[in-house]
Amino acid sequence: MLKLSRRHLLKTAAALSVLAASPLTIVPAFAEDSVHAVLNGLIKKYSDEAKTGMSNGDVSALFERDGFRDYLDVYPVGDLAGGFVWKPGMGASFVGPYSKLQIKAPFTDYLPLPEGPVLDASKKYRIGLVFHGFNHPWLISLADTAAWEAKRHPNIELEVIDAEFDDNKMGQVIDTWIAKQYDGIVLWPNREAPMGPPVDRAVAAGIPVVSLDRRTSSEQISSEVLGNFYANGLQQGLYLKHAAPEGNIIFNRKDLGSTADSIRTGAFLEAIGNTPGYKVLANYHTNSQRTQAFKSTADALQAFKDISVSFNTGGEEAMGALDAIREANRLNSAPGGKKIMILANDDAREVLKEIKAGNIEMVSPYTPLIGDIGIRAVVMHIGAKAGLNEAPPKLIMTPNLPMITKEKMNIEGIETLTPDEWPYAYGPEVSG
Amino acid sequence: MTMNTLETKMVEPALPARPADAWRHLSIGAMSRAAVLVALVIFGQAIAPSFLSLANIHVILLAVAAIGIMAYGMTLVVITGEIDLSIAGAAILSCVVGGLLIPTGSAVLVIGATLLTGLVVGLANGALVAALGIPSLIVTLGTLGIGRALANIVSGGQALYPEGLNAYLWLGRGQFAGVPVPVVLLVILGAAAVALTRYSTFGPALYATGGNVRAAKLSGINVVAVRVTVFAISGVCAALAGMLESARLSYINPAGFEGMELSVLAVTVLGGAALTGGVGSISGTLTASLIIGIVNNLLNQLGVSIYLQQVVTAVVILAVVLPGIRQREIAK
Repeated sequence: MLKLSRRHLLKTAAALSVLAASPLTIVPAFAEDSVHAVLNGLIKKYSDEAKTGMSNGDVSALFERDGFRDYLDVYPVGDLAGGFVWKPGMGASFVGPYSKLQIKAPFTDYLPLPEGPVLDASKKYRIGLVFHGFNHPWLISLADTAAWEAKRHPNIELEVIDAEFDDNKMGQVIDTWIAKQYDGIVLWPNREAPMGPPVDRAVAAGIPVVSLDRRTSSEQISSEVLGNFYANGLQQGLYLKHAAPEGNIIFNRKDLGSTADSIRTGAFLEAIGNTPGYKVLANYHTNSQRTQAFKSTADALQAFKDISVSFNTGGEEAMGALDAIREANRLNSAPGGKKIMILANDDAREVLKEIKAGNIEMVSPYTPLIGDIGIRAVVMHIGAKAGLNEAPPKLIMTPNLPMITKEKMNIEGIETLTPDEWPYAYGPEVSG
Repeated sequence: MTMNTLETKMVEPALPARPADAWRHLSIGAMSRAAVLVALVIFGQAIAPSFLSLANIHVILLAVAAIGIMAYGMTLVVITGEIDLSIAGAAILSCVVGGLLIPTGSAVLVIGATLLTGLVVGLANGALVAALGIPSLIVTLGTLGIGRALANIVSGGQALYPEGLNAYLWLGRGQFAGVPVPVVLLVILGAAAVALTRYSTFGPALYATGGNVRAAKLSGINVVAVRVTVFAISGVCAALAGMLESARLSYINPAGFEGMELSVLAVTVLGGAALTGGVGSISGTLTASLIIGIVNNLLNQLGVSIYLQQVVTAVVILAVVLPGIRQREIAK
């Protein structure tokens, strides 16, 4: 009798997604040297090595205990749609309609749509964007980019709703749009499972649906725009290996089981798992809260006098860790009087400022500026439904982005960028 | 027997003991808290050698300062038989309103606007509860939501950074005679609150309002004024605590203080305050803050996961609170 575990099903779904994407994926020769391709190659290399075993007992124990393999194996890693090659400097600049902040969106040339009316110019297309968090700097930037793209096309009418981290509300919003026969729906789901049924209902009603950044449990969804968590964690590990062959690490992680934590932390552990010099001192889940990361780090600094690395799954955590280390006057308290290395994700402007000041070692960017891709993808789906163009792939990978360091470096073929070379940061400027 | 004598007798059990005979009036709850605190200190030193180091004591006290100050305000409200769930909303709205004045470069303006906003939120709560008779649970749940929403609206959802406002940052990062400013404020405000509840005419009125509001009214206590005052104090405490945390991190987050109201309520209850009113003390609240601070510090030092920490904290609260509740039931 055939037995199918959840893991097998997830793997199959991911494989089918990549397969579905592949017919439209034309990879030109020069794409092999792109940051995206280099990072995908490194992901494969370190993942394969980790699968054969980890020589570092501490790292291996944490990796096994939290079941990272299950998550990593189903996270999609693949080529960009249409053979797109992203290079630093690409994109468009504008003022965010919601945040009122200056934005440079990196991927405006990805699956591009020319400015002006889309599809049937005589028709008005009503698109709904539902997400959570006008009060969240990362998410408001996502909405900014979606609104910017919609505004470039006079026959798109975009309605943006904040579901305020209430899955039921998001479901109700989608059902309302189904009743109103909207032409397309774009969403940022907070959690996978609850959003599956509403998305299925929309698709069944003939409305294309595109999810951004996170996934839903729907297998019917038209497209998913997602990407580089794997490259984030991997680069944190590669940087650490490059900077120090040994060290005592404390972890400030996001919610246990969240995709961001599972993939970033898992990829980090894969990268350092075969280097024997690292020791796991403490492992905290600070749930994306700066205050919590601050407290955990402050307490860890009292428990351990030999911390040399602070690994943080997100930028909030990294800033909390830095503040705690600063308050304890422990910036240079790593063994040998060295600086405690702070490794971060998420390219908020405040994090970049600390990199420039030399307080945070590196950050792997994870840009929220992808809302525009969602709008373009849903427009393409609407067009495909009307026979006006081909549908975009089901899985639209966002480009892997190179890490940002204070000085330019080359780490295993990745050319790092400096804060001054990174115009894509989000969030408010920090003066002083 | 006059009516006044009768009413005084009715509320007497709720009044706090005077220092001279305090030991005889120590409740089981107070003794439980003291015992747990001492046990935690001994246990902490036994398992973590650096536990009683100055640096770690500094970390623990800083960690409890903001929650302790908020809990002082909450304790006064709970003693009157009400509840203030708006404190997180008041804290964040106050900090954001103050933060909007950062471009002026005046720390006095920023601090003043922060505290004034907290006061306004508190007065609004008090007016709605005391004057209009709307249950405090409903009023403060509403102002919690309004506070959070307004903070997002006025800040555009973006964080504010009080960089360069040295006087503001000093509140969270500075020291006074070698003691961190938040800890100094925790002690000063605690002393002021003890004086208010034990040594002023306001104290008996406070306990009487919570113990038996009808009796309090009949004995001439202006219960409306008492309630408005405690909500106003709670609003200011929330604003001050929010400011201390924001100054410490140099970061005003319009989505901050998530769930803070429940943590503060837990500390207040752990400190011996009864949600039915008429019972509670500032010293109990301070002890409870220290217990929670020490538990969290130890669990972090031991590397216990945050999820298990929540379980342990809840068990500690139950273990300390249950004997006190049992004692009150027997007394009834």
